[in-house]
Amino acid sequence: MIVSIDWLKDYIDIDIPLEELAEKLTVAGAECTLKQSGIRIPDGVLVAKVLDTRPHPNAEKLSVCKVDTGTGEILNIVCGAPNVIAGRLVPVATVGTKLAPDFELKEVRLRGELSQGMICAEDELGLGNDHSGIMLLPDDYEIGRPFADYYPVYPILDVEVTANRPDLMSHWGLVRMISVITGKPFKKVPFCLEEKEKDIREICKISVEAPEGCPRYSARVVKNVRIQPSPAWLRQRLESVGLRPVNNVVDAANYVLMETGHPLHTFDLDKLAGPEIRVRFAVKGEKFETLDHKERTLSEKVLLICDAKNPVALAGLMGGLASEVDDNTRNILIESAYFTPSVIRRASKDQQLSTDASKRFERGTDPNAGLEYARDRLAALIAELTGGEIAKGVIDVYPEPIPAKRARLNLSKVKSITGIELSGTNCRATLEALGFEILNAGDNFLDVGIPTFRPDVEREIDLVEEVAVNHMDKIPTMERMSISIPESFDTFHPFTDKTRQFFTGYGMHEAINNSLVSEAAASAGIWGYPPLKILNPLSLEMNMLRTDMIQPLLGSLRVNALRKRGDIRLFELANVIERDPASETGAREHYNLGVLCSSSLWGLSWTEAERSADFFYMKGILEHFMDLLGFTVKLRENTQNAAFETLYDIMLRKEVIGKIGQYRGDFFEKLQLQHPLVIMELQLGTLYQWYEPRKQHTPPPAYPSIFRDLSLVMDKTVRANTLINEIMQQGGKYLIDCLLYDMYIDEKKLGEDKKALSFRLEFRSEKETLKDSQIDNVMNKLFKQLENQYGARLR
Amino acid sequence: MNKATISEIRKQFDKTLEEVHDAAALEALKYRYLGRKGKIADLFSRIRDLSSESRKEAGELLNRLKADLSAAIDARTAAFSAPREQRSYIDYSMPGYAMHRGSRHPLTQAVDDMLNIFQRLGFDIAYGPEVETDWFNFESLNFPPDHPARDMQDTFYTEGGGVLRTHTSPVQTRYMSTHEPPLRIVAPGRVFRNEAISARSYCLFHQIEGLYVDEGITFADLKGTIERFCRLYYGKDVKIKFRGSYFPFTEPSAEIDVSCFLCGGKGCPVCKQSGWLEIMGCGMVDPNVLKAVNYDTERFSGYAFGLGIERMLMMRLGINDIRILFENDVEFLKQF
Repeated sequence: MIVSIDWLKDYIDIDIPLEELAEKLTVAGAECTLKQSGIRIPDGVLVAKVLDTRPHPNAEKLSVCKVDTGTGEILNIVCGAPNVIAGRLVPVATVGTKLAPDFELKEVRLRGELSQGMICAEDELGLGNDHSGIMLLPDDYEIGRPFADYYPVYPILDVEVTANRPDLMSHWGLVRMISVITGKPFKKVPFCLEEKEKDIREICKISVEAPEGCPRYSARVVKNVRIQPSPAWLRQRLESVGLRPVNNVVDAANYVLMETGHPLHTFDLDKLAGPEIRVRFAVKGEKFETLDHKERTLSEKVLLICDAKNPVALAGLMGGLASEVDDNTRNILIESAYFTPSVIRRASKDQQLSTDASKRFERGTDPNAGLEYARDRLAALIAELTGGEIAKGVIDVYPEPIPAKRARLNLSKVKSITGIELSGTNCRATLEALGFEILNAGDNFLDVGIPTFRPDVEREIDLVEEVAVNHMDKIPTMERMSISIPESFDTFHPFTDKTRQFFTGYGMHEAINNSLVSEAAASAGIWGYPPLKILNPLSLEMNMLRTDMIQPLLGSLRVNALRKRGDIRLFELANVIERDPASETGAREHYNLGVLCSSSLWGLSWTEAERSADFFYMKGILEHFMDLLGFTVKLRENTQNAAFETLYDIMLRKEVIGKIGQYRGDFFEKLQLQHPLVIMELQLGTLYQWYEPRKQHTPPPAYPSIFRDLSLVMDKTVRANTLINEIMQQGGKYLIDCLLYDMYIDEKKLGEDKKALSFRLEFRSEKETLKDSQIDNVMNKLFKQLENQYGARLR
Repeated sequence: MNKATISEIRKQFDKTLEEVHDAAALEALKYRYLGRKGKIADLFSRIRDLSSESRKEAGELLNRLKADLSAAIDARTAAFSAPREQRSYIDYSMPGYAMHRGSRHPLTQAVDDMLNIFQRLGFDIAYGPEVETDWFNFESLNFPPDHPARDMQDTFYTEGGGVLRTHTSPVQTRYMSTHEPPLRIVAPGRVFRNEAISARSYCLFHQIEGLYVDEGITFADLKGTIERFCRLYYGKDVKIKFRGSYFPFTEPSAEIDVSCFLCGGKGCPVCKQSGWLEIMGCGMVDPNVLKAVNYDTERFSGYAFGLGIERMLMMRLGINDIRILFENDVEFLKQF
C-alpha cells in the first residue's frame, strides 16, 4: 500500500521530519519505508535543441550534432541513434552527469570527434526499456531547463499493512495514526453534493436477495457525464501511489478508494437491463465474463451483482465487461456496498481471483459512515469532473444495520498486560485520535465505542493493544524478573544431542533433507509405510512426505556424487511419516536416524593404505552406538529388498528398530561411486523411549585377564556368529570375551571351501589371579566341542 | 690464586664453549683446559705455592671447577659424537593421521546455540508433530476460519485432514492442553510453507517458539527476556527495537529488529541499508488462545515469541541461496 505524503497533508498538518514520521509509524505497527514516487532523473540532464547534424567522418553509424543547452555554449555531441533530427528537442546529459553510481559522463573523443555530452534514450534515464533511438521531446519544453522538472517526484510511504487492518489501506487510516503521533487533528475534506431533479428511485431499482452476503447495498446515480481523461492533479495523485489513470470516472472511484479505503464500483447505467440491480448468489455452473476478459464458471459460493437479466459483476471481486464504463458512457450508477468478509473470501478462493477490492472486503470494510461518505464523495467528484448531474437521493438497502461495538477498558488492564503506567487522559487521547468514541469515562475505566471501520477491535485486550502499540517506547524492560522454573526438564534434546555427538565423532556430517519427496521416493521407503500425500503440492517431485531417512539421503548422495565428492558420510535426524487414518492428524510420525556412507575409512595418508568403509564399518558403528546406549541388538537377515547386496533388520526386544545394509554395487552405477554404499536407519524415538541412563557402575577388574588365541580351520559355510556363541557358551565361567580378530582363506594351504578364523579368548576371575592350569582344561574341552560339532581343526 | 681467578677462568671457558660447533673444536677445548698440560692441571700445580690454610679451600674450588668443565664438555660431546646416520630418524614434519572429522549441520548448531541460552534463562524444551490438525495450527491460535490471516502462511494440506504445520506455534496450545501454568518452554522444529522454491525461500524451514504463562506476566517481562536473549546471542552492544505488528495469537503483538551485526546499524547490503534486521515476532498471548485450552484468563497471562533460523543464519554466513542448506554437499557441511 502506497500513500502520498502530499495527499496525507490534505487531511493533517505534518510538521515533523518525514524520516521520523516513517520510523514512528513503523514502531506503532504500520511498517513503512519512505520513498520517492516516480523516476529520479539525474542532475545535469537538460532539455536541449539539436541545431545541426552531420555524418561522422570516420564511423558510418554515428553522427555529429551541434546542440544548444541554453547555456550559451553550443555543444558538440557524437550520437549513435538513427532518429536524431535537427530542430527537435532532446534530453542531453551534460559533462559531469552521474548516469549511474559508477558512471560519470566525461568529455571524450569518439573516433576523432569531440563529444561533450550524451543525447539520451529512454532506457538510459530509467524511463523505460526503449533503446531504439533517443527521446524526442514535445516542442513546448523549455530549452536549458533541467529535464527532471518534467518528471516531478513525490515523497511516498510504502506501507506493509497487516492482515487485520483494512482501515490502514487508505490515506485516512494513516492520518489517524499520524494524529496520535503528532497530536494534530484529522480534517476531512469538505465537498458539495448538489442533487438535481429526478429521484434515483424513478431511475432504477435495487433488490438484495442474499442479505447474508450483502448486508448493505447503497447506490447513487450521476447523469449526463462526459468521459474524458482526468485533469493533471488527479492523474498525478493516482500515479504517485502507483495507480494507472484511466478516465475521469474510474479515476474518481480510485481516488475515493485511496482516500477512504472503501471500494466502489461504477456501472454504465444504460448497459444495465431494467435498469435494475439484483444481488444474489450464483447458480452452480453459471458463466460470466469478467473485466480481465476471462470467461468464468461460477459456483454457488460466488455472490453476484446482476441486472434484470444477467450478472454484471462478481460482488466485491471484479466487474464485468458488459457493464464497463467506456468513452461513450453517459449515465453512471455508483455502487457503495458492504459485503460479508467470509463470503468474499470464499468467492475469491473459489475463483482464484484476488483483487484490491477483494482484499479489502475480506478484511472488512466500514458498513456505516465510511460507506456513506465514499458514496457521496464519489458522486460529487464525478459530477465535478464530468459535468454530470447527481440524481436526487440514494437507494440504500440496509435491512439490519450493523451496530458499532463497545467495550470497557479497565485502566489497570493496560498496566497488567503492558507494564506501562498510563493515565486515563492519555489512553483517552490515543483512542480518540484513532477514531474511537469515549462513551463514558470513569475513574479507572473507559467505555469505548468502536468505530465500524475497525473490525479487528472488539474486546478489552484489543483496546489495550491500541494503546500499547502507540506507546511502545513507554513499555519498561524488566532487568530483574522472578520466573517459574519447570518441575522437570526435557530429556529428549540431550538424547538427540548425544546421538549427534556420537556420529560427528565418527566423522559423519549432519545432513538436513526436505521432508517432501516424490511418490517414487515415498514408495521406496525402507519400512514400507503407506505414504501421506500432500493435497496441494508444489510439484510432483514433492507431493508426499518421506517414509524413511534413506531415500532423501540418497538424494544428497546424488548431489555429492555428481560433484565428484569422493568421501560421503552423512547422518540425519528427522521425522519420517506414515499415513495413519486412525490418528487425529492422519499421520504417525517416527523420529528416526539415517546414516549413509560411501567413503574411505580415513583420508589418503602415508600412514595407512586407503581402504573403503563397508558393511562391517557400519556394523561397527552400530555396535558402538548400541554400547553407548546400553542396548544389545541382534541382526536378522532381510532378503526382501533386491537393491541390497546385504540387508539386516536390527532387532531389539523382538521388534525391528532399524535396518543396516550395503547396496548392490551395480545399483548406483551411474553415480560412479568410489566406495561401497552402506546405510543404516534406526528408530531413534523408540530407542529414546527405552533408553535408561546407566545407573550403576561395574568395578574395574581387580585381577588380570589371561588371553588365549584359538586359530581354527573349518568349512566356509560355518558362520562366525555361530562359533562365537558356541565358544561363549562352552567357555566356562571365567571366559568373559571372545574376539574374532582374523580371517584367512588359502585354497592351497587350507583346502578348498575352507577358512581359518582366529579368536582371542579372554579369561578372568573376580576373586583370584587365574593360573594357566585353570584354563588349559577349558581350552581342550572347547576345542573338542568345536571339532565334533563344526569339524574345526587347529591351524 | 683466588676465587676471582677461578671464576674468570670459568667465564672464559663458557664463552669459548659457546663458540664451539664441531667435535674437533670441542676436543681442542677439552685438551686446553682438562689436558695433562691444560689450564686446570696448571692451577693444581700452583696449589703448592699457597699457604696451608688456603690450600684446602683452593683444592675444593679447583675440584669443583674441574667437575663442572668436564660435565659441560661431556654434554657437548654427546651432542656431537652420535653420527647422524646411526640415530633412528623420524621426520616429525610429516602430516598427522588422516582421520575424518564430522560436523553438525549449521542449522542445528544455530538452534542449539539459541536453545542453550533459553535453557539458561529457565525455559524447558517441548516438541510437537509436524503434521498438525487445523485446530492446533490455526483455530486454537485464534485464526478464525475464512480469515485473511490464514493467507499470511501458505499451507500444505495432507490427505486425512491434516496440515503441515506452518509455524511452531501449535506447540503452544499442544503443550498447554496437557500442562497447567506456570509453564516456560521453547519449542524448536521444522515448519512448512507452500511457497515456490527460490534462492530466498524454501518450502521447509526451522523455527524456535517460546511461551511463558504464569500469573502477572506483562509485556515488560517479554521485553526483558528478549532483550537479554538478543544481547547474549548477538553481543552486548546490539540495539533492539520493538515495533507493533499483528499475529492472531498474540495481543498486543510486536516484531523485533536488532541492529545489523555486519554494519552495526550504518546500513549495508545485508540489512538493505536500513541498519536493522527483523529477527522475530512476539506478543502477549491472546486471551482467546488461553481460552482454547481452558485457562483462566483473569488469573493467567503470558507471552510468546517465535524466531526463524534460516534467514538469520544466511545473513550470518553470507549465504545468498537458501537451497545450499538442504543440499547436503559435504564440501559445505564440513566447514562447520
